[in-house]
Amino acid sequence: MDGVRVGNRLIGTQAPVTIGWENIPKVEGGPVKQFIFTWFQPTVLFALLAFWYYAPNSIAKASTAIGIGIGFKVLLLALEWVNPRYASWRLTWKELTTDLFYVGLGYTILNLVDGYIGSDVMAKAIQTNFNWDKFAWFTGLPLLVQAFAISFIFDFGQYWMHRGMHNWYPLWLPHSVHHYITQLNINKGAVGNPVELFLIGLGIGGFFDFLPRAFLLAGAFGMAIGTYQHINVRFNSPRWWRFLFNTTEHHSLHHSQDFEATRSNYAGSYIFIDRMFGTCIDGEAELLGMEGGRRMTIREQMTFPFTEGWKTLKEKYGKGSSAHHSAVPAE
Amino acid sequence: MTVTAPLVAQPSTFVHIRPGKGRFVNLRFIDWIWHVRGSVPLPAGQTGDEAFARLDPLFHEVGTTYERSSGMLMFSKKDQPAQDKMSVFDSGVLQIEDDAGTPVLRYRLASRALLFCFLVPLLFLAFAQLTIALNAFEKPPAAGASTAAKDADKKKPELRLNPIDKALGAPEPDKPKDGKGGKPEKKPTPTSAYVFAAIFVVLYGAGRILEDRLVRRLFIRRLQHEAPA
Repeated sequence: MDGVRVGNRLIGTQAPVTIGWENIPKVEGGPVKQFIFTWFQPTVLFALLAFWYYAPNSIAKASTAIGIGIGFKVLLLALEWVNPRYASWRLTWKELTTDLFYVGLGYTILNLVDGYIGSDVMAKAIQTNFNWDKFAWFTGLPLLVQAFAISFIFDFGQYWMHRGMHNWYPLWLPHSVHHYITQLNINKGAVGNPVELFLIGLGIGGFFDFLPRAFLLAGAFGMAIGTYQHINVRFNSPRWWRFLFNTTEHHSLHHSQDFEATRSNYAGSYIFIDRMFGTCIDGEAELLGMEGGRRMTIREQMTFPFTEGWKTLKEKYGKGSSAHHSAVPAE
Repeated sequence: MTVTAPLVAQPSTFVHIRPGKGRFVNLRFIDWIWHVRGSVPLPAGQTGDEAFARLDPLFHEVGTTYERSSGMLMFSKKDQPAQDKMSVFDSGVLQIEDDAGTPVLRYRLASRALLFCFLVPLLFLAFAQLTIALNAFEKPPAAGASTAAKDADKKKPELRLNPIDKALGAPEPDKPKDGKGGKPEKKPTPTSAYVFAAIFVVLYGAGRILEDRLVRRLFIRRLQHEAPA
């Protein structure tokens, strides 16, 4: 494969990818379907922002946000059924079960662990130790500015953590498991080794104080933008949307079987962060995964970072080892 | 993939590969949890060889190995692709038998995914118990600390909306209630673990029925309607 030159890089020399928005297929069907799948994403975003902005305090609560989040995911599952991007990404019972297992881990044991050693706990401990107050001046800013600041601070941190995972072998090991997924569906973002799921959730938001409503608005940004990273739905996302926000197209490229393509589009919600740092590639891919698309079992997903890490250590430092190990590096 | 010996229909050996004999626990009573069994009559005039030739493409998937001998096909799968039509099964036996003069395809398929889904509610119940145990283990905050926290909260400035938000009609934040210095610390609850345990019970029931039907339909379609690849 020749690949396509993007800046100094050749993308798609190892696996097929589509580069450039003009080459990406559009939603097929009548005008109503075209209209719905063009304006669905912006409509949901603005509707959610309006809801959280004006909802009375008795409704604007975390429990309402959880309820809306679950309802939204069920709706998106229905859309996957109605208008799939690729037939080869169809959700099966086994895929759904695997995905929900990881979603369940996130809501239970990982949540429990976060309560003890999560970044918010660490931020609180640091603030207590050094007698620091939270950075409280944000609370005086307009709500939408606060909400954007919360989600941007988190996404900016996540961008560098994610980029670090693709560039430093010890971080790549836990993250690599997530790259063994071979299709994108609505809960695939939760699939990965628990160590990585913990790491990617770390952020510095705990150092700042915001109005409670700003957190709910920030959640709306995350839900109405970041959710589309992993989804098997074809949208005609408006030009401004795909310039600012991460899309399924961007993220499918990040998950493609082409090594160079995976080293792009690291942000969770705001693809303009990738544009700022030169790691954005506009395009999409259908063939996803590692090792030619080998699907990992849950057992292997749990142990892979440790077994691979051990293998690498043995190759490097074990008896009869040579200085050059054969394990594939993250870079 | 391995294919051995030409297919010849023979008296049933299916019974011999059923598990259970000589075990402490007779697996026959519980192995329905992760096994799907069934039979499909062959279309009139179809021989065992023809039937297996029609089913053959199903076993040409990546990660699948199979062996055909004496009217029987045994397969196993490793790291099977998500879109493999028999992805949910890890191994199995298919056999052509004579059922009162009518040849039938009998199958017994094993699925670790079904077993996993059957057992995973126990894991979530364990998480629920762990949450309860940790909550019980955590000591309530000392009286002094509580007072200090209240004092700290009292010092906090009242939350106010930005004038722009006021003008646009956003509701004002709640004022802290008198005598209650801010929000109480939230303890993790076992509710989500119970919810996921229930979700997987439902998923198991749905999967056990759905995958049974899907594989039966797959075999019927292959045997009756589709030409061998």
